[in-house]
Amino acid sequence: MTSTLTVTLRRRLDRQRVQDAAFRGTTRLFALGVLVLMGGVVAALAAGAIPAFAKFGWSFLTSDAWNPVTEKFGALPAIYGTLVTSFIAMLIGIPLALGIAVFLTELCPLPLRRPIGTLIELLAAVPSIIYGIWGLFVLAPVLQNTVQPFLVDTLGEVPMIGALFAGPPLGLGILTAGLILGVMVLPFIAAVMRDVFSTVPPMLRESAYGVGATTAEVMRHIVLPYTRVGVIGGIMLGLGRALGETMAVTFVIGNAHRIKASLLAPGTTISATLANEFTEAVGDLYTSSLFALGFILFVITFIVLAAAKLMLLRLERRAAK
Amino acid sequence: MTADTSLTAAPPRAPTLGRPVVRPQEPAAVAQTAPKVVIKDVHFYYKAYEALKGISLALHDKRVTAFIGPSGCGKSTLLRILNRIYELYPGQRATGEVLVDGNNILDPGQDLNLLRAKIGMVFQKPTPFPMSIYDNVAFGIRLYERTSTSELDERVENALRRAALWDEVKDKLRQSGLSLSGGQQQRLCIARAIAVKPEILLLDEPASALDPISTQRIEELIGELKSDYCIAIVTHNMQQAARSSDYTAFMYLGELVEYSETETIFTHPREKQTEDYITGRFG
Repeated sequence: MTSTLTVTLRRRLDRQRVQDAAFRGTTRLFALGVLVLMGGVVAALAAGAIPAFAKFGWSFLTSDAWNPVTEKFGALPAIYGTLVTSFIAMLIGIPLALGIAVFLTELCPLPLRRPIGTLIELLAAVPSIIYGIWGLFVLAPVLQNTVQPFLVDTLGEVPMIGALFAGPPLGLGILTAGLILGVMVLPFIAAVMRDVFSTVPPMLRESAYGVGATTAEVMRHIVLPYTRVGVIGGIMLGLGRALGETMAVTFVIGNAHRIKASLLAPGTTISATLANEFTEAVGDLYTSSLFALGFILFVITFIVLAAAKLMLLRLERRAAK
Repeated sequence: MTADTSLTAAPPRAPTLGRPVVRPQEPAAVAQTAPKVVIKDVHFYYKAYEALKGISLALHDKRVTAFIGPSGCGKSTLLRILNRIYELYPGQRATGEVLVDGNNILDPGQDLNLLRAKIGMVFQKPTPFPMSIYDNVAFGIRLYERTSTSELDERVENALRRAALWDEVKDKLRQSGLSLSGGQQQRLCIARAIAVKPEILLLDEPASALDPISTQRIEELIGELKSDYCIAIVTHNMQQAARSSDYTAFMYLGELVEYSETETIFTHPREKQTEDYITGRFG
């Protein structure tokens, strides 16, 4: 009796060992698959970009030329547009998202909490082409007819920053793209912030309220420091989306390879250029330049993420001291 | 203090116990002080559920009042009413009167932040804020007072000394409060609570997450602090209540069963339920 039991037991143990090994192997394969894929993408981009980098060298990064006829290409306008539109998007998105998240977690009446939260998430689910159409047909005319003339007349007169708001109000341009991007990244950041805010232990919040802090003080001194890793993560998620967003930006940015001081002027971003021009890229150098642009976007995103991680590490080290 | 009406139906004490059935007299050991907090017929509701069913009692100034009773009896709830922290959560409400120095704090017009600054609270688990030890203690002071750096330093040092933590942290005030041990963190929370010079201290099972040595330190601390504050402590630990309090309230199922001098409660409880609870027969 006992011997048969041990035999079945041993058999079962053997089977479990095999299952375990298979499970470990499969998950490892999946994880490695991501690495291989990533390496493949980088390699393909780099390979495609080699002719452009070989021809233009470092000047590809600093030149603002973009002439398919003479085959002179430079990435600077697209890099500039990518960074500036993302910056504007963050400038708009972060404070609004913070406000929404604070309202939802601390102040919103309970019956409204779920509907508003769901709406925010729904905003994240709207396809970017919809934002593009809305931006082109609704937002751009409004900006052109009211907001931009107002900006030109007021902020445009201010010394120093006046140059940012100069020129004809076209409706389409860097500012419009930044605004659209701001709206698009808003729900991502807000949703992440709301989720991390609700991870703050109730007792910690009560302690802060317990010494007489107001909601704003609790947010500033307790909730934000406690959740800063998650908050920065949410911001990075939004920034990543803003840097790479293509369709909506292509609709409203004006697609001009130029760098103008004014935010009202049309410009372009890396992803908008790629979306617009891959189909019409004749000639190897043209195509290769687009590949090079893609590679640069990849590097920019990587640097942003790495910088975020470094910042978090430094914050943690300072907190641990 | 009298028990709720529903308890008058409790079976009479067996006469063989030979204890006097008279109302407990004031023992000489606990001299009466003025009541600091007078709670009158307080009911508390979590949505429709009635968690407190008409509590009335007075907390005396410069005395420690312990609240004991099985889990869910409402003792923590009662504490949370005293600084209205329950209002952070929708669906919770209290009725009745809580007079602090004659001023009804359940009044809707009360300034909650000011009220909470006057009433310090320490929780079951240590809750150091994510900032340095110094900033933790200075947090409440900075909210309400404009102090010079030297005065702030002094206040922080005083609070840490009173919380018996100064000697352990004086060389690392700039380190994170989270770097301390659990017992130290709890004393840090007490320091933070007394730094704002409150009048009342509410301690909600302050030692339940601590080891015996830290617990002893906290109890000693309570004994030292009571010369300045009106202290209310919720505890599951009978010995702790017996050791560190002057008055004890036994609560059960949202009602106040018995409230008297601690010595009386633990030696001659009036109610059968109280006796059963403190002797460990239920709860």
